[in-house]
Amino acid sequence: KVTDKATGNPLPGVTVAVKGSNRGGATDPNGHYALQAKKGDVLVFSFVGYNSQEVPVGDGPTVDAVLAEKIGSLDEVVVTGYAVQRKKDLTGAVSVVNVEQITRQPTAQVSNQLQGQVSGIMVLGSGQPGEEPQVRIRGVNTFGNNTPLYVIDGVPTQNIVDINPNDVESMQVLKDAGSASIYGARAANGVIIITTKKGKAGKVRVTYDAYYGRQVPKGGNVWHLLNSQEQANLKWMALKNTDPNVVYNDGLYGSGATPVLPDYIAPGGLKEGDPGTDPSLYKVDPYYKNPSDLDGFYRITRANKQGTDWFHEIFKPAPTTSHNISVSGASDQGSYFLSFYYANQQGTLKNTYLKRYSIRSNSSFNIAEHVRIGENLEYSVIDNPQIDALTEGSGIGMAFREQPIIPVYDIKGNYGGSFSTNSAQLGNARNPVAIQDRIRNNKGIGNRLLGNVYVEADVLKVFTLRTSFGGEVFSASTHTFTFPEYENAENNKVNSFTEGASSGYNYTWTNTLTYHQKFGRHNVTALIGSEAYDNHGRSLTGTTQSYFIFDPNFTNLSTGTGTVTNGSGTYSDGLFSLFGRVDYSYHDRYLLGAVIRRDGSSKFGDNFRYGWFPAVSAGWRISQENFLKDVSWLSDLKIRGGYGIMGNQLNVESANAFTQYGLNKGSSFYDLNGTSNTLVSGFTKTHIGNPNAKWESNVNSNIGIDASFLKGKLEMSVDYYSKKVKDLLYKPEISATAGRTDPPTVNIAQMENHGIDLSLTATGLHLTKDLTMKANATLTTFKNKIVAISYDAPYFDQESRRFNGSFIIRNAVGQPVSSFYGYKVIGFWNSTDEINAANDEAEKATGVTGAEYQSQAALGRFRYADSNGDGHITEADRTFLGNPNPDFSYGLNLELDYKNFDFTIFMYGVQGNEIWNQVRWWTDFYANFAGAKSKTALYDSWRPDHHNATAPIQENGNSFSTNNVPNSYLVENGSYLRAKNIGLGYTLPTSALKRIGIDRFRIYVQAANLFTITKYKGIDPEISGGTTNFGLDEGAYPNQRQYLVGVNVGF
Amino acid sequence: ILVDACSKSFLERSPQGALQGSDLQNKDGIEALLVGSYAALDGQSSGTTALNGGNPWEAAPSNWIYGSVAAGDAHKGSDATDQPPVSQIAVGNFDPSNGFFNTKWQVLFEGVSRVNTLLSLLPDATGMTDAEKTGVKAQALFLRGHYYFELKKMYDKVPWIDETNMEDYKQPNNVDIWPKIEADFQFAYDNLPETQSSVGRANKWAAACYLAKTYVFEAKWTAAKPLFDLITTKGQTSNGLPYGLTDRFEDNFDPAAKNNKESVFAIQMTANDGTGSIANANQGEMLNFPYNSPFGCCGFYQPTQDLVNSYRTDATGLPYLDDYNDHAVKNDMKILSTEPFTPDAGNLDPRLDWTVGRRGIPYLDWGNHPGRSWVRDQDYAGPYAPKKNVYWQYNQDKYKDPNSWAPGSALNIVLIRYSDVLLQAAETEANLGNFGTAETYVNQVRTRAGKPATAVYKYTNDATPMGGFSTTPAANYVVAPYPAGTFATGGKDYALKAIYFERKLELAMEGQRYFDLVRWGIAATELTKFFAYESKITTDITGGKFVSGRNEHYPVPQRQIDLSVSGSSKTLEQNQGY
Repeated sequence: KVTDKATGNPLPGVTVAVKGSNRGGATDPNGHYALQAKKGDVLVFSFVGYNSQEVPVGDGPTVDAVLAEKIGSLDEVVVTGYAVQRKKDLTGAVSVVNVEQITRQPTAQVSNQLQGQVSGIMVLGSGQPGEEPQVRIRGVNTFGNNTPLYVIDGVPTQNIVDINPNDVESMQVLKDAGSASIYGARAANGVIIITTKKGKAGKVRVTYDAYYGRQVPKGGNVWHLLNSQEQANLKWMALKNTDPNVVYNDGLYGSGATPVLPDYIAPGGLKEGDPGTDPSLYKVDPYYKNPSDLDGFYRITRANKQGTDWFHEIFKPAPTTSHNISVSGASDQGSYFLSFYYANQQGTLKNTYLKRYSIRSNSSFNIAEHVRIGENLEYSVIDNPQIDALTEGSGIGMAFREQPIIPVYDIKGNYGGSFSTNSAQLGNARNPVAIQDRIRNNKGIGNRLLGNVYVEADVLKVFTLRTSFGGEVFSASTHTFTFPEYENAENNKVNSFTEGASSGYNYTWTNTLTYHQKFGRHNVTALIGSEAYDNHGRSLTGTTQSYFIFDPNFTNLSTGTGTVTNGSGTYSDGLFSLFGRVDYSYHDRYLLGAVIRRDGSSKFGDNFRYGWFPAVSAGWRISQENFLKDVSWLSDLKIRGGYGIMGNQLNVESANAFTQYGLNKGSSFYDLNGTSNTLVSGFTKTHIGNPNAKWESNVNSNIGIDASFLKGKLEMSVDYYSKKVKDLLYKPEISATAGRTDPPTVNIAQMENHGIDLSLTATGLHLTKDLTMKANATLTTFKNKIVAISYDAPYFDQESRRFNGSFIIRNAVGQPVSSFYGYKVIGFWNSTDEINAANDEAEKATGVTGAEYQSQAALGRFRYADSNGDGHITEADRTFLGNPNPDFSYGLNLELDYKNFDFTIFMYGVQGNEIWNQVRWWTDFYANFAGAKSKTALYDSWRPDHHNATAPIQENGNSFSTNNVPNSYLVENGSYLRAKNIGLGYTLPTSALKRIGIDRFRIYVQAANLFTITKYKGIDPEISGGTTNFGLDEGAYPNQRQYLVGVNVGF
Repeated sequence: ILVDACSKSFLERSPQGALQGSDLQNKDGIEALLVGSYAALDGQSSGTTALNGGNPWEAAPSNWIYGSVAAGDAHKGSDATDQPPVSQIAVGNFDPSNGFFNTKWQVLFEGVSRVNTLLSLLPDATGMTDAEKTGVKAQALFLRGHYYFELKKMYDKVPWIDETNMEDYKQPNNVDIWPKIEADFQFAYDNLPETQSSVGRANKWAAACYLAKTYVFEAKWTAAKPLFDLITTKGQTSNGLPYGLTDRFEDNFDPAAKNNKESVFAIQMTANDGTGSIANANQGEMLNFPYNSPFGCCGFYQPTQDLVNSYRTDATGLPYLDDYNDHAVKNDMKILSTEPFTPDAGNLDPRLDWTVGRRGIPYLDWGNHPGRSWVRDQDYAGPYAPKKNVYWQYNQDKYKDPNSWAPGSALNIVLIRYSDVLLQAAETEANLGNFGTAETYVNQVRTRAGKPATAVYKYTNDATPMGGFSTTPAANYVVAPYPAGTFATGGKDYALKAIYFERKLELAMEGQRYFDLVRWGIAATELTKFFAYESKITTDITGGKFVSGRNEHYPVPQRQIDLSVSGSSKTLEQNQGY
């Protein structure tokens, strides 16, 4: 019988195994078990949340055990690179993820769940279902791919988008070279090791976990936009500001001193009863085939005088649901685990969704006493069409640009839009509802089989031989139909159907030999191994134009009548590696680890094909020393440190070494014969080869302290690290005089990162007899600095958006990646005297008569800072305006248990980052396209009687001194604190359930993203982006508030 | 050892979907590289991008921004903040970090690079006779001459990269490259045949015209004259048509009449060529169509009132060389399309109505231009629409390419047309004091302008513009040649002024004027007058000015200077004044 130490109650479900064999079982509801064992065997009792216990079998027929609740995690066994280690023996920087905690996040993506839960990881996501977030371990490591390496049951992959979060048994994050260098060439971005669930000894267990929820988009006027009348008022104001003697004569608003809203916007400006609005004139065929048919359309569209709330026309509350069933068990012959997962998250944005299905089968078989065979396999299907947010032109991007006076539909129920007649000037935005409706038949389906089979044999007691053959087979298909448009000022007139498919496979064959032995106080584990990785894939795409009907049952690549285009691509690369590791401890006090790996990659030429990646680490458990033995409040104290080199070869194309030639119909073919429609084929150089590219090396040092206090009730882990990434593989832009051929990737750039990871955990705090508390907090900081970019320019720019060709983001030596760059606004020009005075100063400073301080300076426009102090504003005065990398991010988990109730709260925050709010470029400047404008533009822009304004003077023109160049007006504080998750659960008393055969039944309610505290004026401060160009908001798909109810049931 | 041997072959992988240089060192491969060198003429890549990945219009081979908007032919057009880099160029604020300059530079050097790649592989090519190699080389050098000519007139300080120093591509730009350009065209002229198997290829006479144009840009009048004498007597097109002016001015801007006798060298454009994009369909002009019209986009490149006024003629059919703005042509500013408007009734040169779309006049066969409703923001950029780049409705299914959000067309960009050659010849003769010959050349151009085929006529029925034209001219067209002896009487200054003005009228909206104004040395005076006059009409060019000592050349792109670091110093230097 097995009982609980604290209460004396029987413990059901405890695993009982005969040590060194595969025999085992589990306790029944009364804590009883039965098992065949002989005297001298040792029984191992283990149970989740309890310290396991070993009891030798004596003479009697019964062996009882009393298990104590586990406090602290020192004895936890964690999976690291090709090995398992006790947590207290770790010498590298390894974060152990609290899986129970992260699976509370109601999302189908494991990577989203990691946000704020583990120190040292930054996760940046969005509200779009299925959009894989950016995951960065200890900051940005390269200009290219920063995705960590994921090792799932021993199989390396770059992608965990389809892993069922319910299948995860444990997850470890290897953050420094000491722990990660064993993965050599692929370790530089950090390694996340995921182990999926196995069957446990005992009877068949069935679990069912499900939730259903409602996602609610943000309410209110999210972008602070004007209504239709205000929009007209702003136009009058701006025209007057531009020309004080303006004569109003407007296609929509008439010619009076105050603008009057028309009854119709198409035909522009008409009043009710005008013969031009006679419905019999109406002519629109929304499914027209011939582009020139559009010319004959006659649109009749009423004005929406209240104003259309475009955001809420495309964002609606949406349901989300998830179901997971698993069946598992084990006996001395083996174990099995089977699960089925279904998740369906409808996007709050129309026609976006994520549907996922996955099945997993993990099993192992004990085919002989010392030989085990097993497999882990997951097959998943994802149906997830996505939109490109954060860029101009998405449905979201248009929702803050389409004018409010435009209704969603015209008088006949076809779309209303910006198409204008009679000079209505409705702008060039596109109807956001139409954009979202027209993607309704688009699909993006992917599927993947991921897993491995393995054989393990114990040889001569001290050796374990393991071979694993694993990998992934995947394919994806997409198809989209492009409808002709008719409602906008600028319409796509050609209908077309595009279908794409890709498929590929890779395998990893790993062989390892592990040696483990204890000699007195010496404990040695050593491992050698080899690994081969082979990766292949193909992709295919085709487009056909001109369909007779647009029915999705009819449209395929062969049923169109127009131009057919197609294309395909292939890739192939491989890695071959040898590696070894030694872990040694003396007297449980002095710990030493060493790893080395030699990788060969097909991506590099003969000269530098192979790279060596060594690392050493050491630990000293000071608390074991005699002088600390008596300090009762200190349970454990360890200092550890490591140094090593990790590699990266993601950021180089397979054929980088070769100079290549190729062709492209658009850029290298030419109509030499003057036919007007037939091209002659031509070739060009397409890539300049670099046979000398070699591995990126990420030189990493780490020092850390792990401490455990009050018998493990409080644990702390803190790490300081610094990384120098050398020989960074980068494709620097080269002088145009070399042509525009794709330049080679070279080892040229350098970067530095340093930071602190901190985590604090408190467990088993009994506030009262029945009220217990657990808490953990994480803190992640990193400082990134670019050290070198190329032999040539010390910077590269990105993101010009709608500016004058100078860029918003400058990645420059000495600065963090993705820094914002431009002119610094220091106020407005409030009087002509100010301008004249500045110009006089400029004349003096430059010695040029007629010199100006600032080009196009005028009343109410921005005054820029003369950053270089040369007396006038030139492009040299551009400066760094902000940094989207936070100073730190933090997470706080709190869990309270009271009898059968449990309450959890998880808060997450980032601090000290900036966001470039490009939305305000569109909405705060009247002249920036004739679109929807903000309240700020009308009510808080500079006027002669309102100098203390937010926005500059509203004018019908563009200037260097307002909207033409990137300036600090658009930079905002991006810090925020968000209640990611608050939940309340109730577990039904076991006694009541036993009778109907249920072990556990918990119901809960939850609210995700309940509130966010931020000064950011945009819709959501969580803004991702590219690797070197992030933090730019031009219409984010915001994270949504979610309300859920769920159950966890176990049979 | 076994493991290593195994891994060696495992790790040897060939590039996928690519050729090596040696695959191309044969007749077909070289020919394909030559076609690739022609293909860079349009500056466009696949999809809606220029060859450097920038926007198509930044690299438009017509130079509509750098040659016409900058020179007062046209406003940028569209909405105020649509393409602010063009606004900056329009007001003379040439910022070296303006990305447009970088795009143009990169795209032209891509052309140079393609030629150099070809030339480096050519000597060892197999299966070709020396004569064939020389033929290829002559075409290649013609193209390289063109790319460098463009670079030279844009940026002045240009580094020279050829097949001998390709690997060492960081060359200084402190040496004048005109002699090298002359050498490339001279080789082409000496070695190209008079006619070619394909009309798109450069022939001997195209090389002669380009060489003469080079001399004109260098003001080497005596070197230019003998070439012009030959060209005007013996010149012919690649397809064997003796050079001449088409009777119908519009033939030069009508894709159905492309590669005619006036087309000395043109960039060949296609429509609906199977790419599913407008990459080969005059993509550089995609913005330059009336807005809220059958063309869809984008309302750019709106001709100026100043340009329109230039077409005013006096009672004798001659232009007002100095005071044309005192004889302004009536416009429809501030008048809604629903309100009545009667077009100007005064004397006009008919070339106006093939160059500018204005209210009430047939816009090809698209109907009478409706005025303000086809204009995005009249207050901002005026009432007019471009016309030379616009295709016709009746044959649009063949020559229009709808495969983008803005239209493409198979309308060629004519880099040199014969009337341009004649006016250069006139300029050469006038500079050499041969006023009679100069006047004859100018009068050839004016005579064509006065031919009935060059007038715009009213529709037979305004409601069905494709139904054909009547015989009633759409406006009061009066144009005549200069009476014999006018140039001789007026003297050199007068002759040159008349020639310069004729270039403005004949070549307006063809990306030429800015470079002409600069080489004539009158950019400051002309543009100062222009800004003063035009900025009273629209709001877009307020504060525009020509900065003497700087604006004569566009800046070497800042990015390229920054990328030119060799050792610790920059190999490229900036132009004066930046």
